[in-house]
Amino acid sequence: MRTKTRISVVGGALLLQLAALTASAEENAAEKAVDAAKQYSGITLNSAEEAGLMAMLGINITGPEWKDLTGIGLNVTEIPFEELFPKQMLEHKAGSGAYDIMTIGPSWVADMVRNGALEPLDPYIEKYGVASEFDDIAPAFKDWMTFEGKTYALVVDGDVHLLYYRKDIFEDPENKEAFKAKYGYDLAPPQTWKAFGEVCRFITDKYAPDLYGAGLINTGYMHFFFSERFRTYGGKFFDPETMKATVNSQAGIDALTDMVNQLDCQPPGVQTWGFGESLSALNAGEIAMTISWPPIARWAQGINADEQALSWVPESQVIDKIGYALPPGGHPELASGIMLAVSPDSKNKDAAYLYIQWLHSKQESLKNVMRPLGLRDAFRISHYESPEYQALWPTAPDYLATLRQAGEQGYSDLAILETYKYWDSMGRAVVAAIGGKDPKQSLDDLAAEWDGLTEQIGLDRQKAAYLDWSSKPSAYRE
Amino acid sequence: MRRGGVPPPHSGGQSGDSVASAAVSAESASVQAGDTRLFKYSLIAPATFIMVLVAVFPLIYLIVVSFQRLSLSDDITSFSGFVNYARILSDARLWDAVFHTLFITILALPIELLLGMLLAYHFLDDRPLKRLFVALLIIPSVISPMVAGSMWRLMFDDRYGPINQIVSWFAGHRVSILWTIDIVWAYPAIVITDVWQWTPFMFIILLAALANVDREQLDAAAIDGASGWRTFWEVTLPAIRPVMMIALLIRGLDLVRLFDSVWQLTRGGPGSATETISIYAYIRGFQEFDTSYIAAVVVVLAILFSVGLVLVLKRMAIAR
Repeated sequence: MRTKTRISVVGGALLLQLAALTASAEENAAEKAVDAAKQYSGITLNSAEEAGLMAMLGINITGPEWKDLTGIGLNVTEIPFEELFPKQMLEHKAGSGAYDIMTIGPSWVADMVRNGALEPLDPYIEKYGVASEFDDIAPAFKDWMTFEGKTYALVVDGDVHLLYYRKDIFEDPENKEAFKAKYGYDLAPPQTWKAFGEVCRFITDKYAPDLYGAGLINTGYMHFFFSERFRTYGGKFFDPETMKATVNSQAGIDALTDMVNQLDCQPPGVQTWGFGESLSALNAGEIAMTISWPPIARWAQGINADEQALSWVPESQVIDKIGYALPPGGHPELASGIMLAVSPDSKNKDAAYLYIQWLHSKQESLKNVMRPLGLRDAFRISHYESPEYQALWPTAPDYLATLRQAGEQGYSDLAILETYKYWDSMGRAVVAAIGGKDPKQSLDDLAAEWDGLTEQIGLDRQKAAYLDWSSKPSAYRE
Repeated sequence: MRRGGVPPPHSGGQSGDSVASAAVSAESASVQAGDTRLFKYSLIAPATFIMVLVAVFPLIYLIVVSFQRLSLSDDITSFSGFVNYARILSDARLWDAVFHTLFITILALPIELLLGMLLAYHFLDDRPLKRLFVALLIIPSVISPMVAGSMWRLMFDDRYGPINQIVSWFAGHRVSILWTIDIVWAYPAIVITDVWQWTPFMFIILLAALANVDREQLDAAAIDGASGWRTFWEVTLPAIRPVMMIALLIRGLDLVRLFDSVWQLTRGGPGSATETISIYAYIRGFQEFDTSYIAAVVVVLAILFSVGLVLVLKRMAIAR
């Protein structure tokens, strides 16, 4: 063999060996967590989780699996979403140590950190973590985990609103022709709220009472829906100089007025609809559009429909009929999302962190975000690109691509000091308007309440927090 | 054998000896009386201690906290003056909650009284299966108010509840009453739920009261030709008034504290239109951690309602 050829062969072999070595050396955060956790076998971790389907993941699947792998038990305490923040804060203030693992939303991090209610995770990440797996987290959700340069939680659920629509209705040639004739533009997933109203009205006029143009959520979490719409109308929450609330600006009045007026093309009683009602209506084929969280797609497609825990979900009549798009305005709300954190009052902090790392890992999180049970949604780039996820149903690639785009273009939730209070009052104001109160009056009252809150909290402190939040691109997407 | 405090019968002797003897006896009696008092106090001391711990200490602590500045953002335990009390004056939402609470009380209480009275009259006489029906009627009152609120929320649900469906059948077309969202219907929903649950309480108390009205007076009124209404107004009502007032007082106090059923029905909404005092205090204190402020609110409202209660009790005493 010629010398050159020999060198090439040897060189190639060496390269192949190096690649093999690299592959085998690539760390797996899930496996690392399991290996490290075995030393704590026999203990039980207490986990505070959102009541219902989210908690069922821990109760039925990941808890038992974790116990099999490590010998560590998991005791899940279910808490309704709106009580997660107050209950966990109360336990911390009481120093009860009731929870080792806490479920938190991104907007709560600042308040919880300031009250010493979250354990900094950087030492644990350094000890047990796999750095490369953090590079895989989608940029939209990466910010959530840190505050003032320290990591306090690991994301396990990347929430973002999507518009779900009936492709068959939108693609019907007769509908397309009639809509174009009436409105002068193509029937398509609406890109503005004006178009949303027109599409909704068109479909309702043609198909009601069998099918309505839309069925939106109108109770529960209304601060998310209004925040999203308000910002797409050009609204800003505060005047950055004076910190006066500007939710009652013309943008706000227009947003809330349209929100209320567009109820009339939706099913009777839609004012009382929550998440469950809009899901069941979509699955039953009663509405052509809704805006909601990512699990809707999996439910509408009938994924895991035979799961006992999902027996309350109406059997989907719209399998393969649902399309996915960004909500009108093109900037959906990154509506809450879920992260897991370690309580500073925990007596098992390492074990608690390892469970969280295991759930957050590339390997385990992919399984969880493909299940409807658990309400976990894609938050890693590898989730969006996963061949396994993309093969789950025929239009899953569209769904994942839309989710990814939504994350990249989404609005982050308002996160300032005592955000919870601002959220609560906004939600009440919106529901009051939906219930019949004049939108302008609702927003004027809301602005006055927000100004009162800002004064109580301290104008300068709140201004600093607001300026910090609003400086992020995801705040207003200008 | 000498009884405590009672000197033995004296059967003669010098008067000086009697006085000295009496003085010694009195002193012994006094000591013995003191021992008895001490013994009595020691018996009730543990219960008193627990009551002080459970009731008095929290009250004192509440007052102390009301003068601090404890909230989600602040942890100031030093005396902060009357800043929290001053805030109460301008807190429109608080006074709205007081108004909502009183409004529900004024609506629900008379209805419960009237229905309870009618039911009591109906079941006063022996009827077939009387005991069974009475037992069934009491069931709502033994259900947890949270459960009752949840149940009625489902009943009022537009999509899945039976009430709108039944109304629609009678109307001949779909009727969509937004019981828990529309302010016009939210109060009726709350009152219906409360009346359903607590009329049996009124009923059972009034039934017992009516059963104890002097039969002879009723017979005498009948003989004199008094009408049913006149008999009720001039014989029955005065006889049952003390018991009725107690029942009204108990229900009134319950309504002032109303939380559970309203929380399940409306969460105080739409907006804060049905927020009661308890719901407002819960949201401010336990969801928003405005601890010192809500302590001040509780102190002020406790004083106001205590004054009101004293006036009502005085009125009841005068009426007796």
